[in-house]
Amino acid sequence: MTVKTLSARKNGTARAEAGTEPIPLRYGDDPYVWACWLYYEDHMTQGDIAEIMGISRATVNSYLADARARGIVNISLEPSRLSSLSIAQELKRHFGLHDCLVVPSDDNTRPLIDRLGGAAAQALAKLLKSGDTLAVAWGRTVLAIAEQASVPGLQDVTVVQVTGGTAANFAYTPELCASAIAGAIKARLVNITAPAVVSTAEIRDMLLREPLIESQFDALAKANKALFGISSLRPNSTIHTSGFFESVSLQQYLARNAVGVVAGRFIDGQGNPVAGPLDDRTIGISLDMLKTIKLRIAVAGGFDKVPAILAALRGGYVNVLITDAATGRGILNADGVTELDQKLSQRPKIDHRATLPSNFRTHIKKFLNDPDDVVEEMLDGVVKAHAAYLRPIKGSHRALVARTGPRPGKVGLVVGGGTGHEPCFLGYVGKGLADAVAVGNIFSSPPPGTIFQCANAASGGQGVLFVYGNYAGDVMNFDMAAEMAAEHNIEVRTVVTTDDIASSPLEDKEGRRGVAGNFFMFKIAGAACDRGSSLDACEAATRKANARTFTMGVALEPCSMPQTRRQNFEIGPDDIEIGMGIHGERGVIRDKMMTADEITDRVMDRIFSEMKAAPGDRVAVLVNSFGATPLMELYILFRRVEQRLSAKDIKIEANWVGHYCTSLDMVGASISVLHLDNELTELLHHPCDTAVLRIG
Amino acid sequence: MQQFENASAGDIVLSLADRIIENRAYLSEIDGKIGDGDHGVNMAKGFGMAADRIRGNDMSLATAFDTLGTVLMTEIGGSMGPLYGVMFTQFAETIEKSSSIDARTFSAMLSNGLDGIQSIGSAKVGDKTLLDTLVPAIQAFDAANASGKPFPEALDALVVAAEKGRDSTRDLVAKIGRASRLGERSVGVLDAGATSCALILKALALGAKQKLLISATAGR
Repeated sequence: MTVKTLSARKNGTARAEAGTEPIPLRYGDDPYVWACWLYYEDHMTQGDIAEIMGISRATVNSYLADARARGIVNISLEPSRLSSLSIAQELKRHFGLHDCLVVPSDDNTRPLIDRLGGAAAQALAKLLKSGDTLAVAWGRTVLAIAEQASVPGLQDVTVVQVTGGTAANFAYTPELCASAIAGAIKARLVNITAPAVVSTAEIRDMLLREPLIESQFDALAKANKALFGISSLRPNSTIHTSGFFESVSLQQYLARNAVGVVAGRFIDGQGNPVAGPLDDRTIGISLDMLKTIKLRIAVAGGFDKVPAILAALRGGYVNVLITDAATGRGILNADGVTELDQKLSQRPKIDHRATLPSNFRTHIKKFLNDPDDVVEEMLDGVVKAHAAYLRPIKGSHRALVARTGPRPGKVGLVVGGGTGHEPCFLGYVGKGLADAVAVGNIFSSPPPGTIFQCANAASGGQGVLFVYGNYAGDVMNFDMAAEMAAEHNIEVRTVVTTDDIASSPLEDKEGRRGVAGNFFMFKIAGAACDRGSSLDACEAATRKANARTFTMGVALEPCSMPQTRRQNFEIGPDDIEIGMGIHGERGVIRDKMMTADEITDRVMDRIFSEMKAAPGDRVAVLVNSFGATPLMELYILFRRVEQRLSAKDIKIEANWVGHYCTSLDMVGASISVLHLDNELTELLHHPCDTAVLRIG
Repeated sequence: MQQFENASAGDIVLSLADRIIENRAYLSEIDGKIGDGDHGVNMAKGFGMAADRIRGNDMSLATAFDTLGTVLMTEIGGSMGPLYGVMFTQFAETIEKSSSIDARTFSAMLSNGLDGIQSIGSAKVGDKTLLDTLVPAIQAFDAANASGKPFPEALDALVVAAEKGRDSTRDLVAKIGRASRLGERSVGVLDAGATSCALILKALALGAKQKLLISATAGR
């Protein structure tokens, strides 16, 4: 124990002695309840609670978590808040918004406009970044946002007013709104120093040519974010009394079916611009210009505004909407979304978290820098680690060629596929095995160009053999690469591997996927190529190996994707998945957990039902980990495989136990058996030298 | 005749890329239930790369489609790379000679895209693939045109049918691709390809509608 911990503890004891009992009587002897009381009722920090209780902060944390798991504390979302989340989600989905925030409707303690302003102020704090130019329109809502906004730590932000100014006979003029927002977020302010509406089009054009106003519009054109309200044209709307528009002109827009105003411009119910007498006399942002701004944040609520907001959404003027639940629901209903209420009422009212264990986590820990760079960074490592065996083709880490592989007069062997299966496929590149490997993204085929580069590099004038697993994506990409090779006079033959006997019934053998048995197919193909056999002979030997290789996998736990750090499907706590593929595809049968021997027997029974081996026949065995299963358990599986084979008097000619074809961090293993004949035995023992397999 | 200008419509492809990138996590999540969970990531990567090449280059719609198609086809891999790659390349080839795009050209473009997909893939409608979105969407668009609906309304019909088609995959058994090995267990989950296809068609239709609007305003 460190000095620091000691003193902290001492400190706690001292306070406990001075003040409270070790555990106050009213909590009985339940420290969980005591910790919860201090945390939830007395609002103390976990650190303070640790001192008072004389325990570590970590223990307090785990008490609090356990209390939730045990139901001592129930945390529930207020239904109105939950519903506002669903409405926001549906609005976002239905209108293809970048984001949407919906404030609950049933809290009438504050005026709607203040609550919208508060929500928008919070949203601004998330959406604004240093260096932004924010275009700000006028309106009561915008002013309400300014009153509550504060975004600390922003640098180099510019606020630009989107329209000219108006007489200051109302409280939310364009100048004031822009300046209030600029003040709140400490941004540089650019006003448009011209009237919003001028008497004639000629005056507008003249003003727009003024260098000062031109420079202000240049600043506006740099806006990457916009903040605006949406005005309704209903009779009670403040737009009629604001004096922003002359009422005579307003009537003309209304007569042409205008339903709303966005940044000083009129739109109809579909969001189309409505032409009218003010168009040429308005100095301010146009609707087209508004749409070029990347993030367009509209803040508006109130039932009378539903048609106007819907129109703005339909017109695509908004991609971030901040509104309230009643309005949001109204917008969705008006646009024909009626399932929402059903969805809401059908939502099961179970607090799932109460049943989760305290150590439940939603993300898997991984060694990552930027998740988007995993493949590139892995390949950087591979190219350096295995430089003795392989090198990039033309600098691309996605196409790797064996240093001593391709040679004139030899059939070239190209393998490949997605990543996430390491050491497949790149570990099998080297003398006597694959000549080149094409590397895709995680669980995703490489593109044709990459595969063609490999074919080109592997070609020794005697043709090239493609060997890869049977997946729709791989087949399409390798086939396209084969066409490209043909155009360059390289003859390509393809063997698609189909060793996974669990993936389709025997009648549909060709539809089966290729899994860890690739190890054997690559080995046989590589040996045939290295011995200088013809393209025909190499293809035939590989097809034979594929026909005589039988694999079945079992997953105990799913794998997790580096990008999401989440498991990409679920397996129940007591379940296993038999027939699991190497991409985390679900298996074909789900069963209860059983012993290692029972699992091995299930797999071996299935293999024996297809492999017609007679007593005295020879096989090669591969017991392969899917990633997270340790060697210890693989040997336990191998032990039973050996027992089953020897009971049938089948001889194991060679065996491999370890990580040969993985599926990221899946817990599980596969068993592959290659039914040998003389030719295959010879080819299996042919020398090879690669990063993960060396023979001879 | 309602039409929009090809030369200035390349930015439609940018908005299409935006939709895919925004939905990256969602697409991967639904793909993770019955596939391998990479759909959103790979799509976002491809569309993002294409958008970087299109942005700021003032491309025509045809050139932007060609850029997107080429990136998907040659640099992305997977199964969606070639399938969407061929679709967008066909889109580009259909419209490259047209200075403006009317409903008839738009329909031909969609049909040729579909032909391209069917020439390299073997799926049919009902197999729980992107075709369950694309085929009914094209049919709805053509039917709306045949009944004399204006171009924008035909685009609305296209979106409605695409989303309905996407939703139909929830009840289908996968017949092709990795999910097909699950048989009946694929029922109850949307197909990721059908979902991304609906996103693409909706963004395309919205983009085209906006262009029609602009050209209508300019023409007035």
